[in-house]
Amino acid sequence: MGIKIKDLTVTFKNQVIAIRHANLEIPKGIYGLLGENGAGKTTLMRVLTTILAPTNGTVTLDGIPYRKENYEKIQKKIGYLPQEIDLYPNLTVQECLEYMGNLSGIPKRICKERIQNLLEKTSLTEHRKKKIRQLSGGMKRRVGLIQALLNEPEFLIVDEPTTGLDPEERIRIRNLLVDFSEGRTVLFSTHVVEDLAATCNQLAVMKKGEFLYAGSMKDLLAQANGHVWTCKAADEITARELEKKYHISSKQYVGGELQLRLISERPPQVECRVCSATLEDAYIYMTNKKSR
Amino acid sequence: MRKEYKIILPFYKMAYAVCFMILLSLIRGVYVSYEIGIALEPPIAILTAVFCADTYVTEIITKRSEVWRLYPLKKKLLAIYTRLFLQILFLFLLAAAGYGLFLLFQRPTFSVNAVQETAQFLVFLASIIITIAFWGILANTLACMFRNMWSAIGICLILWLLTNSSLGIHYLGKWNVFSYTFREMENGGDYNWLCGKVVSIFLGTAAMAALPTIMKQKR
Repeated sequence: MGIKIKDLTVTFKNQVIAIRHANLEIPKGIYGLLGENGAGKTTLMRVLTTILAPTNGTVTLDGIPYRKENYEKIQKKIGYLPQEIDLYPNLTVQECLEYMGNLSGIPKRICKERIQNLLEKTSLTEHRKKKIRQLSGGMKRRVGLIQALLNEPEFLIVDEPTTGLDPEERIRIRNLLVDFSEGRTVLFSTHVVEDLAATCNQLAVMKKGEFLYAGSMKDLLAQANGHVWTCKAADEITARELEKKYHISSKQYVGGELQLRLISERPPQVECRVCSATLEDAYIYMTNKKSR
Repeated sequence: MRKEYKIILPFYKMAYAVCFMILLSLIRGVYVSYEIGIALEPPIAILTAVFCADTYVTEIITKRSEVWRLYPLKKKLLAIYTRLFLQILFLFLLAAAGYGLFLLFQRPTFSVNAVQETAQFLVFLASIIITIAFWGILANTLACMFRNMWSAIGICLILWLLTNSSLGIHYLGKWNVFSYTFREMENGGDYNWLCGKVVSIFLGTAAMAALPTIMKQKR
């Protein structure tokens, strides 16, 4: 079960192709969606939440095809946290969640219990009487996540939930998503690689509307292993020369020397040694594979 | 209801509507008390269109509409109707207060007896509630249709200019939505203006009935 996407194409009115012939299976658990800005991640999520209709191809959720007559059934199974959402600034946290829970059709008593439980889990209980406009960006994001979890969805879609958050907030949200993913499907879209490294075993990499990779984190790393190298550059000029020739995933001064991580299909023509790939290296390797 | 009130009637909206009414009652001259209704109806109509155009569109502007997409249609419609009801109620109370402000600032000549004055005020209230409801519902429906409040305000303004003009009087006569404004004031027994209000009720109901279909299609 889970989500099945077959030959999905989404073309906008201005003829821009946002997703082209995409195939993907999203099983239970947390599934990462990685890609640069404009890769088509948000468009894919908008299709999965029934906001956008596919131009071509089929999508099914737990075997239910995405067709107008099934939208209501599908929508009941989904929780969604969009990339940008301004919650009601004049309502308190509690009021905002009760209001959105009521709109979801959750009975009052159950809704209150869930809100209390989720506020505790997100450490927002003491802020429940604060107005939304008085909250920090991270708190607003957490409230946004709670509203997505309120109807206990079978399929949770979160679009860049950790953007603009401090490290502690990010960890808190990641942990909450992991807790919630038990027995459910969570699609976690981000361009922050370390968020996925900390939460997912399965992921897909998107670029220009296509899936460059879909599978396990382990296999992705295995594909990049042997193509990541570290070398030292004596000065900035040498480093710049290397940057022109190779993709550099990191660059830092170590003991007065510049240490670089290069991504290259073949051994670089400088003194270097192979090192094990991180998810960030693997992502850069995968997204630049075709262009090399 | 309290949450809907907080959402749809923020301080700035109430403030600009109250300021509008105070200014209107200060600058629009009336000599006789029965002119107050005429002075109030058309400006309140356009104020209502601007006021109610964001009833649902506020969800689109703030991107909450993407989450609203997942809610059952019935719940969404109930929320929109509640918001419209609250705004209409607020504007109705404001219109009633506006009548009082005209009496206070313009000091018009009164009719011979208090009963006539009271009846005149009650007729104004009956007429203005229909006007407010019609323009409010229309503005919201158009805004939902175009997913843009400015388009709705623009269309309402054109409609307002057409109906609130000599062209409107000539072609629509007693069926004009502003028939109360254009009624024969000297003839107290003339109730032909009720036809215009029937048209308003009919069009308002039609706009209201179209909303579920628009919400389904436009998401």
